[in-house]
Amino acid sequence: MNAATITGHPTIALLGQPNSGKSTLFNGLTGARQRVGNWPGKTVEKKEGYYVRDGIRYRVTDLPGTYSLSANSEEEIITRDYIASGEADVVCILADSSQLSRSLFMLADYAGIECPAVLLLNLVDVAEAQGKTVDASKLEDKLGIPVIPFVAADRKQYGAFFETVDRALKEKKRININSLTAKYYTIGNGMYEKLLALMPEEGIGNYSAPWLATKLIEGDTAILDKVKNTLETEAYRDVQTILSSIQNGALHTSGCKFQWVDELLSDVLIQKQEKPLFSKFDRLATHRRWGKPLAVFIILLGLVASFIPATPIMVLGSMIPRLGGPIAEILSSIGVSQILIDLINQVVLNTLYFAVAMIGFVLGVNLVFGFLEEVGYMARISYVFDGTMAKLGLQGKSVMPLVVSFGCTIGGAAGTRVIDSWGQRVLTIALAWVVPCAATWAIVPVISSLFFGAWAPLIIVAIFIVAGLHMLITAKIFGSKLIREEDRAGLIMELPPYHKPRWKALLRSIFVRTWDILARALRVIFLVSLAFWLLTYSSLGNPDASLLYRFGRAIEPVTIIFGLTWQTFLAYFASMISKEAALGVLGSLYLGAGSLFTATIGSGGKVAVGLESVLLASLTAPAALAFIFAVTFNAPCLMAITSTYQETRSLKWTLRILGYYFSTSLILAFLVYRIANLFM
Amino acid sequence: MTTLNKVNAGRKVVVSDVKGDQRFLSRITSVGLTIGCELEILHNEKKLPLLFYGRDTVVALNREESKNVFVEVIR
Repeated sequence: MNAATITGHPTIALLGQPNSGKSTLFNGLTGARQRVGNWPGKTVEKKEGYYVRDGIRYRVTDLPGTYSLSANSEEEIITRDYIASGEADVVCILADSSQLSRSLFMLADYAGIECPAVLLLNLVDVAEAQGKTVDASKLEDKLGIPVIPFVAADRKQYGAFFETVDRALKEKKRININSLTAKYYTIGNGMYEKLLALMPEEGIGNYSAPWLATKLIEGDTAILDKVKNTLETEAYRDVQTILSSIQNGALHTSGCKFQWVDELLSDVLIQKQEKPLFSKFDRLATHRRWGKPLAVFIILLGLVASFIPATPIMVLGSMIPRLGGPIAEILSSIGVSQILIDLINQVVLNTLYFAVAMIGFVLGVNLVFGFLEEVGYMARISYVFDGTMAKLGLQGKSVMPLVVSFGCTIGGAAGTRVIDSWGQRVLTIALAWVVPCAATWAIVPVISSLFFGAWAPLIIVAIFIVAGLHMLITAKIFGSKLIREEDRAGLIMELPPYHKPRWKALLRSIFVRTWDILARALRVIFLVSLAFWLLTYSSLGNPDASLLYRFGRAIEPVTIIFGLTWQTFLAYFASMISKEAALGVLGSLYLGAGSLFTATIGSGGKVAVGLESVLLASLTAPAALAFIFAVTFNAPCLMAITSTYQETRSLKWTLRILGYYFSTSLILAFLVYRIANLFM
Repeated sequence: MTTLNKVNAGRKVVVSDVKGDQRFLSRITSVGLTIGCELEILHNEKKLPLLFYGRDTVVALNREESKNVFVEVIR
């Protein structure tokens, strides 16, 4: 854009450290006009969207949250490459006004990049509550780029933001770096000056010569490669000679950057009172002994609380199948064939029911745990559980989805949204599937007490031991692909100050993707239900005529290897749709009554009359045990699979996890069956 | 001079040096820990990351890596 007016589709990139409010601003700007995917070939989330103002469409790219512009993580490399690509017309740098001196490091690291920038002093309301005031216009004079005080959660303030962006697009100002580079001259024996003289005068792409020289001192190998490709061999050799004389370069340049920031703020930031560093609650939340129990307690409380917003939606969903009667009547009165009526009644209505119930629960979980993240508590959970979760290759926050999964795996999967690394999110979900959910306890105790009487509690203990081992092995298998070396590096984490929740922004961030989630859920649930319905369809209403029945009988010679009769195998198969289905399907198969589809969808874990005695007569104790383990460690349910698909946004990984659980649960059944046969 | 992992909670220190590879240095300095900066130790408990306050921010740092931060205790 060269004209003084704004033309075309300007692109705005949002840059900032974690917790600087980037996502809040992104959601506020784009609303539902956003797309979330992954950066090509990377395990990092890419968020793009747009807003329209005065007929002009502004593209917005939310860059990954990073602490600096070095090249130590995928996030940082993506951020840097994007800025270097020149795709952005203006970069909005967000800083947290309540922690300005640290937060401006990103600005200092950006200084010297030849792309127009704006500084947004976000969270000024929190800073003011701490007795801090920031003189934005004075800071603007010093920096030479537009600076505005800002609250990203408050859309009423966006007018000033829009105007500032337009101003930046027209004026194209870069950060004034003279006082910053003056500091670099003091490093080593004038090495900065020597390096600067060797750099191409016009820089490389968007990277100015001063910026390149600084990164070289920091030992940035990616930049060194760029320089190598640009310079003559001799000049490059000189660069290498200069660099060989410095160690710990990043320590020196960062020192300069912070000195510059401190000078910038010396008469810009006024702090009236010192806030207490560490509140009483924080002492407890991070306590060696009490931090963990408190975290688990709050997570469980959160799980219960998530039912408050979820229940009305779930109840609404559960009423959908009741429409079946009236709809069937109307349809048959106008001569619609019975099979179509069955299809609508059983598949369409149940799909709607499942999807709505699932959305209700997902929204509830996201609201409650989004709240805990927003106010700052989630970082404390991360702190106390860091050591424990690191053993699985995960960050401390991952404990939350795992605990939630004891209630429901759908909630566990949805809860992983607070984990910022995509790979860790997928691994957390893969591990959350191991955790026996509440529905497991509707089946396991029934069958174990039936077959093992007073020994039943031992089975439950065994399930927990196996679950623990399962997690360790699964973490190893999936971790090698999902967890990058840099994620395994030791923890360096900021614990953001607590602040009041901003409900509007929180709700916006949750509802922004609801339609997208609902559409996806409807699609997945419908397709799977339809396939399952076709497999179980029988014109006579009994199981014998269905495809699944025939398939089950045919495959029995194989399933029996795993200790599963054709009946228990089909019940196990149906438990992937809903865990409670295991008992319903057993009832339908052993007692020969009712449709398999209804038994799967609508049994609610009830035990059919007479089932117990039939089971005792037809199954051996080892076969019952094999069945218990197969069902417990099978894929949790269709809605959990759908929820996994939503949060990972990867069909490949969802199918991988699904296939893994299908096969490992059969292997477990095999082992249990064979071992039990030795003793029973 | 001592290392950060040996300083008790409640003490104030000034950072005198940081050792480590380029990656560690760049990460630790980007959260505000540089030579000459003042820190207050909030928590130093076995098995938990070290917790300190510096540059308006509470930072958690792995115990192993806190051995690479050299400090002078000032209070």
